[in-house]
Amino acid sequence: MSQPAWQSWGIFAFFGHLGAMCLLSWRSTIALFRRPFERTALVEQLDTVGIGSIPVAVLTAVFVGMVMALQFSTALKSYGASLYTGSLVSEGLVKELAPVLTALLVGGRVASGMAAELGSMAVSEQIDAIRALGADPVKKLVVPRVLACLIAIPLLTLVADIVGCLGAQLIVMTEVGVTARFYWEQVIATIQIHDLFHGLGKSVFFGYFIAIIGCYQGMTTRGGTAGVGKATTVTVVWVSISILAADYLLTNLFLAL
Amino acid sequence: MDLVEKATDPIIRFSGVHKRFGPKIIYSGLDLDVYPGEVLTIIGGSGVGKSVMLKLLLGLIRIDAGSITAFGEEVTTMAPGPLTGLRKRIAMLFQGGALFDSMTVAQNIKYPMLEHGWGDPASRIERVAEVLEMVGLPGVEHLYPAELSGGMRKRVGLGRAIAVQPDVILYDEPTTGLDPINIRRINGLIRSLQRRLGVTSIVVTHDMDSAFTVADRFAMVRDQHIGYTGTRAETEQSEIPWVREFVVGGKGVLDD
Repeated sequence: MSQPAWQSWGIFAFFGHLGAMCLLSWRSTIALFRRPFERTALVEQLDTVGIGSIPVAVLTAVFVGMVMALQFSTALKSYGASLYTGSLVSEGLVKELAPVLTALLVGGRVASGMAAELGSMAVSEQIDAIRALGADPVKKLVVPRVLACLIAIPLLTLVADIVGCLGAQLIVMTEVGVTARFYWEQVIATIQIHDLFHGLGKSVFFGYFIAIIGCYQGMTTRGGTAGVGKATTVTVVWVSISILAADYLLTNLFLAL
Repeated sequence: MDLVEKATDPIIRFSGVHKRFGPKIIYSGLDLDVYPGEVLTIIGGSGVGKSVMLKLLLGLIRIDAGSITAFGEEVTTMAPGPLTGLRKRIAMLFQGGALFDSMTVAQNIKYPMLEHGWGDPASRIERVAEVLEMVGLPGVEHLYPAELSGGMRKRVGLGRAIAVQPDVILYDEPTTGLDPINIRRINGLIRSLQRRLGVTSIVVTHDMDSAFTVADRFAMVRDQHIGYTGTRAETEQSEIPWVREFVVGGKGVLDD
């Protein structure tokens, strides 16, 4: 949509987009409760977002776990505390690194894909066609994607938690020389249930940002194939920044609870 | 003016429609009546917003001021429920067909039937075959849009539009970018839908050959409103310089 020039100035544009995304969220919430439920579309999205992102999530987690173990074991050695590496790494992973890095990596992949797909549909009038044929594009396209992200991103984070700890185990055992049993007893003693929910709780919000930004950028794409490229790029930037900013705010909030 | 116009009340009426996109004014005070059973062709230069009119009529875009009625009901203030009902009666063929890439031809054609709760599964399959037969593409049910040529995509798009038997069909540049054989085929389809099923058609085009083949009546967009309306014969003999220019200059030119 075209708009007056002042609306393209940074701060106005920012609040304009923010408002539009709130509106999109509101409309998807209403559409969610209207029958019929789009089950096939949800399953398709869960497959794309969830199953399709497992390799990315696993690879990210395993290397992050390993590198964290390497760094901490070396740093703690100088204090003579390298036996605590497992505790430190697992807590860092579960509360912070697994949710944030999974969301960043998977989010970049998933949200740009959504923006590109919905953007192509928008520029080839397929979204208009959905409406012209008597359906609601928010219900057909946005709701399944938001739901899929809300479900899949926390599950992927849980996978990343486990895989990350396994990666760290490898390094802790070789570098510090503890047994697997010692390592896991330490991890289980460290990670409380609220630590787990601290991380998973954040990942639910990240999932929501990924889907809403990807869908919003896609649905509002204008200007042919060039517009699709632009929407995709903007999506990755917005998703990354919103995840990092939200992480700071949510961590503050969750630590205060 | 002409016989159709006097005989019946308009089925669709645009009155005093104003629409702007940012600084660009598309319509200021556009009036147009469409009568049941006619093929009305909307002509006008590129970028004057001919297709916007179709999207306004379907409620895909909101107007700034004025009124649009279809079947005696105001479209511009319609709630989602009635709007869905309206979109069952008025179908649109989009410029590139706008088929859903992720679905087969059959799924595309079934889409409006499912949305409007048309028939049962068996009759829907039957209807898909029937519709594809009508647009001259029998047996392509299982193909995906990417496997079809541009002309075939447009014809499947038309098939999808007529699937739930609408009363009015809106055509956005139905012949643009097609080869002569497909152009003739689409023109033939527009005429036969009108003759056989009594469908009212609004055709937005700048292909004057096609316009003169299908149209009962012409309307020309100029200076942000309908500057001229007239029957095919009136248009052919029009003395108005800018209509004349368009008719003569446009004839024989296929596109853009």
